[in-house]
Amino acid sequence: MRAYLPDYNLRAPRSLADALDLMAREPGVWRAFAGGTDLMVLLEFGALQHKNFLSIRHLPELRGIEITPEHVTLGALTTYTHIQRDADVRREFPLLGAAGRETGGIAIQNRGTLGGNVVNASPAADSPPALLVYDAQLELVSASGARWIDYRNFHTGYKQMDMRPDELLRRIRLPRATGDLKTYYRKVGTRKAQAISKICFAAGARLASDGRIKDARLGLGSVAPTVLRCARTEDVLRDRTPDEATIKAACAMLVEEIAPIDDMRSTAQYRARVAANLLADFLVNLKK
Amino acid sequence: MARYIGKEMSRVDGVAKVTGRAKYAAEFRAPNLAYGFIVLGTMAKGRIREIDTREAERAPGVVRVFTHLNAPKLGPKASTEYAPPRNTREQDKSFRALQSDRIYFNMQPVALVVAETYEQARYAARLVRVSYDTERHTTDTEAVRGSARAPSQGSPPKPRGNPEAAMKAAPVRVEAEYRIPVEHHNSMEPHAAVAAWEGDKLTIFDKTQDVYGVRAHLATSFGVPEENVQVVSPYVGGAFGASLRPNYYPALTAMAARELKRPIKVVYTRTQMFTGHGYRPYTIQKIALGAEASGKLTAMIHQAVHNTSAFEEFNDNTTGFTRQVYACPNLLAPTMIVATDLPTPTWMRAPGAVSGMFALECAMDELAYALKIDPLELRLINYAETDPESGRPWSSKALRECYRLGAEKFGWKDRKFEPRSMRDGRLLVGWGTATGVWGAFQRPAIARITLRPDGTAHVTSATSDIGPGTYTVMTMIAAEYLGLEIERVKFELGDTKFPRAPAQGGSQTTSSVGSAVHGAALAVGAKLLTLANQDASSPLKGATASDVEMLDGRLRLKSDPSKSVSVAGVMRLNNLSEVTETFESRPSPERQKYATMAHGAQFVEVKVDPDIGHVRVTRAIEVTACGKIINPKASHSQEIGGVVWGIGMALQEATEIDHRYGRIMNPNLQHYHVPVNADVHEVETLFVEEDDKVVNPLGVKGMGELGMVGIPAAIANAVFHATGKRVRELPITPDKLL
Repeated sequence: MRAYLPDYNLRAPRSLADALDLMAREPGVWRAFAGGTDLMVLLEFGALQHKNFLSIRHLPELRGIEITPEHVTLGALTTYTHIQRDADVRREFPLLGAAGRETGGIAIQNRGTLGGNVVNASPAADSPPALLVYDAQLELVSASGARWIDYRNFHTGYKQMDMRPDELLRRIRLPRATGDLKTYYRKVGTRKAQAISKICFAAGARLASDGRIKDARLGLGSVAPTVLRCARTEDVLRDRTPDEATIKAACAMLVEEIAPIDDMRSTAQYRARVAANLLADFLVNLKK
Repeated sequence: MARYIGKEMSRVDGVAKVTGRAKYAAEFRAPNLAYGFIVLGTMAKGRIREIDTREAERAPGVVRVFTHLNAPKLGPKASTEYAPPRNTREQDKSFRALQSDRIYFNMQPVALVVAETYEQARYAARLVRVSYDTERHTTDTEAVRGSARAPSQGSPPKPRGNPEAAMKAAPVRVEAEYRIPVEHHNSMEPHAAVAAWEGDKLTIFDKTQDVYGVRAHLATSFGVPEENVQVVSPYVGGAFGASLRPNYYPALTAMAARELKRPIKVVYTRTQMFTGHGYRPYTIQKIALGAEASGKLTAMIHQAVHNTSAFEEFNDNTTGFTRQVYACPNLLAPTMIVATDLPTPTWMRAPGAVSGMFALECAMDELAYALKIDPLELRLINYAETDPESGRPWSSKALRECYRLGAEKFGWKDRKFEPRSMRDGRLLVGWGTATGVWGAFQRPAIARITLRPDGTAHVTSATSDIGPGTYTVMTMIAAEYLGLEIERVKFELGDTKFPRAPAQGGSQTTSSVGSAVHGAALAVGAKLLTLANQDASSPLKGATASDVEMLDGRLRLKSDPSKSVSVAGVMRLNNLSEVTETFESRPSPERQKYATMAHGAQFVEVKVDPDIGHVRVTRAIEVTACGKIINPKASHSQEIGGVVWGIGMALQEATEIDHRYGRIMNPNLQHYHVPVNADVHEVETLFVEEDDKVVNPLGVKGMGELGMVGIPAAIANAVFHATGKRVRELPITPDKLL
């Protein structure tokens, strides 16, 4: 049943500094409310435990897409619609556009943010596998400063993150020069749209002139307590040609590396099998 | 020239719907309205030990909290004899809220909190504390199927011939078991009621398919005469069977309104809808088919078991149509029921038929592969030229033409027989077919027409329009036979102040109510003829009612349209400000000499991704023969909707129950999946019209349910053809294909 609204506080700080100041003074009391597309679902089911929120949607410091020779930097409030519409992002980071298209419906895409998708920390989220493949970095800010961390180290357990209660996610930075990265994105749900993933698979790789895999990157969702960059499987692939033996070895390692569960959406067995099938499909198509 | 039948007509209520002028149950207001919010229990079986409402009562705005301790007892329930299809049912024992401390199912209502605002009621509902004495429950039909029994009402269908012996002797046999999970209707509009008493007179705005059924139910519940109860339900945002029987909330709402002496509104949440009405039962079907090597069926044994509740019998008649689909001399087809601690199931679009035909038509496909005969050919070999059950001729049956046309449009002749033999790149392609059947039911119905000299008409009948376009088709029929422009005719429904009509279910509304409107229009013409012929100089002198027709404001001889009188003139001459006729149509005795059914053929293409087991229905062609098509536009919409639902049933829909707690796990549209637009590709619906004046004067048969009946089987058969894997358990989710 829907929660009782008067139980909740929602404040709209004037600026990012004000927001961080409040979070520093009362650490753990205030949490960010951006698009609200995850939080409102919990509210509707009466399952939103936290009571005090800071509305950050209007803060310009968290918005915008900035392009430098080295990086494309996305404000945490960048929506799924923004990443689909921005021509530069679309061209250089096609996995992000694909993830944006596959997330929710149009209304959710207009409102839901990339930053929210990251800090909501759902293992079934659709953009984090893409961010993992692009070696994204996160900028966490607080009243006492800012720090950059690699996204692949951000999630530390189910719904656990390397993020202090007084910190906000400000920006997501993607290294450029992804031009020759061959990419692959598949979201698998019970239906073609508006379904939470049974499994989400994002991948990228470069082939050297001798046909060997130089730079394999695998980001998976819904196969472990967190979204997962599958480093051990990447190790298997490194410097090998994507032939049958390699594919077999990589798939075997992937099944070992992930830790899927049975739930209402799917079974562990299906997830392991499909993860391997999608990896094989990715690798077979790499040669083409 | 006003001629409408058979022509495409947009919905007459379309503008009202898209502009919000059409009012649905929850949108009605009343002065001094208070709001009720239902509190659901949290265990599956036992008794309420204690219920503490003190905190809830102290919450802001709360007027009263009703529980079984303070809610008045309702009177005995009337039998809902109007609920189609005409299954025999035991005396009504349907669930009513707050009548005892007994818990029959999880998420059963245990309290109703009434407050000044909806939000206050919803908040206080969270403060009601309930403790229970729990008993062991059973919600898993599989676990108790061994104790299935025949329904207590109605005589069990007799076997035909000697099915067991014939099965033993059959040169080719297939036998398999099929499963269908619990499914919920999930109409867009939530069920809702607004109830207001004035003395012992009740007005209730309700979402229902049967205003008269709700009226009888409330009259007996509150011990007032039926004429004291007015049920109003002008628009229904989908129901699909979920509002055929009175659910528990109208009596609950009216009870609160009576006790508090003020109008009350109660609206189900989406979650409450999952136990607030019935559902398609969990169904296990065992089918054995025996045939000669030529493909001729020699024996059919089709046994279904489905769940019902612990307090009431529901019989989905799963195997009913099996008796009439194929010519076969030996047959046994019982439907058995077994009690579970869940709410009572109910009719859900194409009840019984879509479930039974899923199993039968998959089994026919399995037989085709056992015989190495083309699946379509096998159906033609066993074509029933007369009704195999009664031996009577069909009033009409254009199924053979449906097969032919569908196969031709689809390109069936290019199908390769072997499974896994067709590809589109890396995708596996499968083509499947199945037959659809439904009845051509008709029930008594009454319509009233008032024609005025200005050439406008007011037509009423207390049917419902849950979406098929009843407003439109009744307006078309009236306009056609009154000879008026359609804009001059106003049709109203969904109110017990209008003449009695059967529930809108079983695809019988156009045949029943349409026949009444048709009859009333002819009665108006007959009356005018009598009046006209009181004038000695009438050009229609000597004509009888069947000789005349109305068109463009004139009553004229069919054989010689130049002989006519002005309708307005006749009324003026007789000092009449209007002519009103009420007509009751009834199924004709002629129908008894025939078997009456509607048929269809479905052809489906699927593409299966072998890496992930995902099935896409890329093409569906459905050809149906259901008599005369009155409004092709709405009719195609009906059949397309049926195909889409069939896709959902085949691939996605399932109400998941955690049997440890006997609780539904996915009572929301986030986790109860129905198809989205991206799941629906090419759908083509075609009609083979039948000229059938036996079924009713309009020549129409049931079509709303028919459209989905064969689809799940056709998809399952296509999936087998694509993958070589026979999935006998719906829905066919990707997990089952890897």
